[in-house]
Amino acid sequence: MSIAESVEEVGSPQRPEAPTGGRRWVIGIFVVLTIGAIWSVRAISPGISDVIEAPGEMWKIFRAMFPPAFQTEIDRGVVGKVFESLYIAWIGTIIAALISFPLSFLAAGNVAPRWIRYPIRQLFNAIRAVPELIVAMVLLAVVGLGPWAGALAIGLHSVGTLGKLSTEAIENADDGPLEAISASGGTWISGMRWGMVPQVLPTVISYWLFRFEINIRASTVLGLIGAGGVGSELSSQLAFRNFPQVGAVLAFTVALVLVIDTISGFVRRQVITGTGRKVDGGHTEVLFEDMLGSKLAPKT
Amino acid sequence: MTDVSMAAVVRPTKPKPRPTSFLIFAAFVAFTIFAARQVNFEWSTFKDIWVSPLWEKFWPIEWEWVARRENVFDPMVETFQIAIISTIVGCTLALPIGFAMSRLTTPNKPVYFFTRTIMSVVRAIPDLFWAKILVTAVGIGAFGGSLALTVFSLAVMVKLFSETVDGADPRPLEAAKAAGGTHVSAVRTGVLPEVFPSFVAYALYVFELNIRASVVLGLVGAGGIGRVVEAQRGFFQFDRILGILVVVFVIVVIIEQISVALRRRLL
Repeated sequence: MSIAESVEEVGSPQRPEAPTGGRRWVIGIFVVLTIGAIWSVRAISPGISDVIEAPGEMWKIFRAMFPPAFQTEIDRGVVGKVFESLYIAWIGTIIAALISFPLSFLAAGNVAPRWIRYPIRQLFNAIRAVPELIVAMVLLAVVGLGPWAGALAIGLHSVGTLGKLSTEAIENADDGPLEAISASGGTWISGMRWGMVPQVLPTVISYWLFRFEINIRASTVLGLIGAGGVGSELSSQLAFRNFPQVGAVLAFTVALVLVIDTISGFVRRQVITGTGRKVDGGHTEVLFEDMLGSKLAPKT
Repeated sequence: MTDVSMAAVVRPTKPKPRPTSFLIFAAFVAFTIFAARQVNFEWSTFKDIWVSPLWEKFWPIEWEWVARRENVFDPMVETFQIAIISTIVGCTLALPIGFAMSRLTTPNKPVYFFTRTIMSVVRAIPDLFWAKILVTAVGIGAFGGSLALTVFSLAVMVKLFSETVDGADPRPLEAAKAAGGTHVSAVRTGVLPEVFPSFVAYALYVFELNIRASVVLGLVGAGGIGRVVEAQRGFFQFDRILGILVVVFVIVVIIEQISVALRRRLL
């Protein structure tokens, strides 16, 4: 009996029917999304012709950026502004680290009493809810235009996320060393210093570096409202529609961000694993969780 | 016996720190001091900030103003509309691009490297720069804002999604290819069902991010609730801004609760 015959004897394989329940869900979600989309588009779009022309307009601007006017921008001192963004992010991150690290010990459930833990956690949450641009807006009015307002804004805003992440690092630490220290008569302070800090420091430093990467992006943006850095240059060139110059500013910004990401990523891996090699780990998710202070679903 | 207990008392010598550690530390301190000078670091600010007369402008929050429909409610609706459409468009675009950016499902090497390079440049440009540029391109208003948030959604989504696809089980894909499926149909039947719940979870997360981002998008003229924040900033009406922030915070918390509940069902 050949294979073809034996298949024929059994009959052509019947395809099982698709379950119906799932289909209904899909249709329902699709309808909801379509209604939402139509409702939004009708309200937002200035008219169908503008929507159709938009990609063309964007492409025109993109084309106008080439070739970027690097020389003009260098003469206008854009390199200094890019470095100013770097300094703002650096100082901001250091301010945030110095404030958040001690506070996170007071917020961690395993080392701090309830009465102090609770208000400090709420403080972290409140800080995270205010975007750094809003903080910068307020500080500009207090300390005046310039990079210092930007650095301080980034520093204060980052306290929220860094505090939350370091608190979690402390809560996940091993309690054994703490017990050993208190059993041999150590105080709370020495328990923290010798039992807790050495355990959490690598993780916490990697969070600081993550935050530094995010703060680089934030500090470039701060210039748009006059708080120092490269953003002011982008803003003024766009106002005059000098697109080749805009292209150059963007190129410098992208270069800064990519270089810092690479260096910081290398140092982070060095701190965590002792080598600069890439390792598997869901770190990106932490990065995005941190980015605007939202919480991502637990990893499956 | 006695020598053992004697030996235990002797404290082991502390390992000497490596000379490179000193160098790194010195470089760190030097750079910090230099950067602090560059940004005009001032200790007195930490004192002055507490006694600034500005704080009086924050309190009490002007709730009557916040409650008026045209002040906060209507712009907030616009914010939702911007967030909805940019999440839908951005995430839909992210689906094919995310597959192209994963080593597992990419159609070929050139596409893989091309999409990765483009997307890492797109991600390196901060969201407000995008908003500023796109507002310049299509004019001030909600339309420019939704274009900017579409780019932002796309950038966040492809990063998260392509990494999820990287971690997917390769065997169903192999089976679909072995059974003679084309590339697209093999990905659709072999990988998509596994990663789709994560995709939806990320989409909800991106929606949340878009609502949050809308507070600052108005600073560059991109519509939504941020437009009101920008206008009130001009009058130093920080009490009203604080009121808006409280409203946005409450809304974000509600959305977060809903999407956490939805995600728990999905994953």
